[in-house]
Amino acid sequence: MRFLVVDDSSTMRRIIINTLNKLGYTECREAGNGREGLDALTANPVDIVITDWNMPEMSGVEFARAVRANDATKAVPILMVTTNAAEGDIVEALKAGVSNYVVKPFTPATIKEKIEAVLKA
Amino acid sequence: MSVPQSLLTTLVSATEEVFDTMLALPLQARAPVNGPLEVPANVVATVAFAGHRRGLVVVYSSLAAARQITSSMLGIPVHEVNGEVPDAMGEIANMVAGTFRNRLAAVEPSSDISVPTVTIGTDFSTLYSSAVFRSRCPFDMQGEPLSVELILTGDQVGGLK
Repeated sequence: MRFLVVDDSSTMRRIIINTLNKLGYTECREAGNGREGLDALTANPVDIVITDWNMPEMSGVEFARAVRANDATKAVPILMVTTNAAEGDIVEALKAGVSNYVVKPFTPATIKEKIEAVLKA
Repeated sequence: MSVPQSLLTTLVSATEEVFDTMLALPLQARAPVNGPLEVPANVVATVAFAGHRRGLVVVYSSLAAARQITSSMLGIPVHEVNGEVPDAMGEIANMVAGTFRNRLAAVEPSSDISVPTVTIGTDFSTLYSSAVFRSRCPFDMQGEPLSVELILTGDQVGGLK
């Protein structure tokens, strides 16, 4: 399973990748914002994208819209990991094309559960 | 002037949740205080919020505590921490403020939070306008002092619950 982790915080990218490694997912690439994420996704397809919401240059929501607008990438599941937990935020993210949502702080069990959910959908 | 106890209780539980969940570093909460820090902080991480409420969540720690937090977050030994402290402490402040905001949003109109800012040094003070309500929640983190302060703008007088 190939993952792309998009977050402007290098700390959070490492936390998520460490979590994925613990869950047995070792093929992980990373990008520092939505724009870099789009470039990475276009160059090398992945099976799941995990993205933050609040990022410079291109936010996670803008990134999700761009991924869904591209025939080559529109089917990839997108898991959003963010501190934004208001109902309006979640609705906006889902409308933009996010497949599922994790609110920080999170446990490895939550990440595992959400990954399994987006793969089944 | 101090902040209502209910908000401080929410801030303490939000902080404990972040440390328990993301760091596996249990915190020992002490009674909130309004006075200055007992030990000068070398690391100050701040996130502002605006909306229904306006103010700041500020995390104060020693450099040793910040390195311990960074080590736990990244899963690396403390002696290997090198340059990651600002980003890690900013993420801690972001998660504490975000969890605090999310808990309040369950019972009142929501607020938005800013990106974090982190100051690191050995001889500085953080000062705020006198027209604010502020209270600080001290914690003990494996022998290292850590504090999380809530600062609310004074124009919320009468609206604090």
